[in-house]
Amino acid sequence: MAKLSLMFENKLVKEVPIGSRPVTIGRSPDNDLPVDNLAVSNYHARVYFEAGRLVVEDLDSLNGTFVNDLRVERATLHDGDSIWVGKHHIKVDATADAAIPWDTGRKTAAPKINETMVLDTKVRREMLQQAAAMGERAQFSAGRMKVATLVILSGKIDGKEYTLTNKLTVIGKSPMATVRLKGWFKPKMAAQINQRDDGYYLGTGDKVPSVNGTPITGTVRLNDGDLIEICGVRMNFIFRE
Amino acid sequence: MQIVSSGLSDVGRVRTNNEDSFRIVEALNLFILSDGMGGEAHGEVASAMAVDVINKYCESEKEDSGATVLDEVPATLSSWTRRLKNAVAQANFQIFQAAQKNPEQRGMGATITALWLKDTLLSIAHVGDSRAYLLRSGNLQQLTNDHSLVAEQVRRGLITPQQAEESEMQSVLLRALGAHPEVEIDVDEVAIIPRDVLLLCSDGLTRMVTEPEIAGALQAETVPSAAAERLIALANENGGIDNVTVIVVRFEDDANKGWFSWMRRGPAKKD
Repeated sequence: MAKLSLMFENKLVKEVPIGSRPVTIGRSPDNDLPVDNLAVSNYHARVYFEAGRLVVEDLDSLNGTFVNDLRVERATLHDGDSIWVGKHHIKVDATADAAIPWDTGRKTAAPKINETMVLDTKVRREMLQQAAAMGERAQFSAGRMKVATLVILSGKIDGKEYTLTNKLTVIGKSPMATVRLKGWFKPKMAAQINQRDDGYYLGTGDKVPSVNGTPITGTVRLNDGDLIEICGVRMNFIFRE
Repeated sequence: MQIVSSGLSDVGRVRTNNEDSFRIVEALNLFILSDGMGGEAHGEVASAMAVDVINKYCESEKEDSGATVLDEVPATLSSWTRRLKNAVAQANFQIFQAAQKNPEQRGMGATITALWLKDTLLSIAHVGDSRAYLLRSGNLQQLTNDHSLVAEQVRRGLITPQQAEESEMQSVLLRALGAHPEVEIDVDEVAIIPRDVLLLCSDGLTRMVTEPEIAGALQAETVPSAAAERLIALANENGGIDNVTVIVVRFEDDANKGWFSWMRRGPAKKD
């Protein structure tokens, strides 16, 4: 996990890991990294993850926050950067505690990997645990016990409700279609829904379905309660407990 | 539906040997692509083995015998997809065994992307960082998820796609055939419609050529063999740092149903 090290004249003052919660920096003692210096504002800056990037944000401090030499209001941090507040600086370690060994030596002498290689399972497990610790994919495990269902609201169709248990659900006139459309000139495969590890995806077929009134391009992930319209059939995508 | 396909493999501009293997089995509508690894000549051995084992397995299982497979699957799969998955599991085990028996082949492995079409149902089985794409009404969709470290980091939001493209870790795979006696295999299913175009490719293409360029080439060249040549040429023009292999598959309406498709697609295009 990434960490921040508060330094004063090359001496380590305090070290904190960066988790899902922002790390606050300031003169007030209730900050994660309290900096006892009058040049530092009470709540001076904070550091947090945003979309996978580590970001520092100045909280309207009087004397400013600097990354390396530049004064910033907001900046993306990289491994090895220093954040300066007053006379203290905070070292950014995005590769901390050697949980990912192949990443640690990278700055110095990492050999360029040209040959494809497979990770050892142990290393891989560590990496996955690390990512899991960051709370990723929590939504997936939470939604697992629910059953995806299509509830037909209106239109010519052979059923009222379809449970999406298959990997692939075809909407159309084809014999392989689960959601069977009726009527002339209806396409064999109007659209399809794929069940994947992280949810259900609606894709185009011979027709372009719309989700909540907007025609889709390619595939879109369905959310609980989405309204799908295709070939004059309106249906709700819902998760049943 | 008519199916036209073409495959092409090129050593690239940097490497001296080609570790990719591919096979198109027209009689089965089976398309297999594998990218070997392991240095010396062993990458080639692994990828050739993967292709061969899968081909033979599917050949022997082509009749719908209603064979059931003892396997935990999260979603209900068609019997063909289960078979294809078994074929890949078989390939993995055989490569693993070969590597165990022959000390000089230790560490060899391969990616696999295998597509099998039955009527209009396309079964997909996949391990590694080779890819399958579907071009449908001008839209290029990636049908497989890369099992590479950087792709996983992107999925978990740890790095951006841009960082992934620049990363030195692009060659680090999380899964491959031959590394362990068992391997987790991704499977998916897609219903194919006329005018769909499928692309299978090794990472030698996707690291060199952007997705818009790929989509452009597939749309510009409607003959699969020409499209395959164009894609290989693009990869080599952009550096060709790795072996490049592509299979392009095009689906067309049956010719004798022309009048009907004209009615559907022609002037009466209202709906």
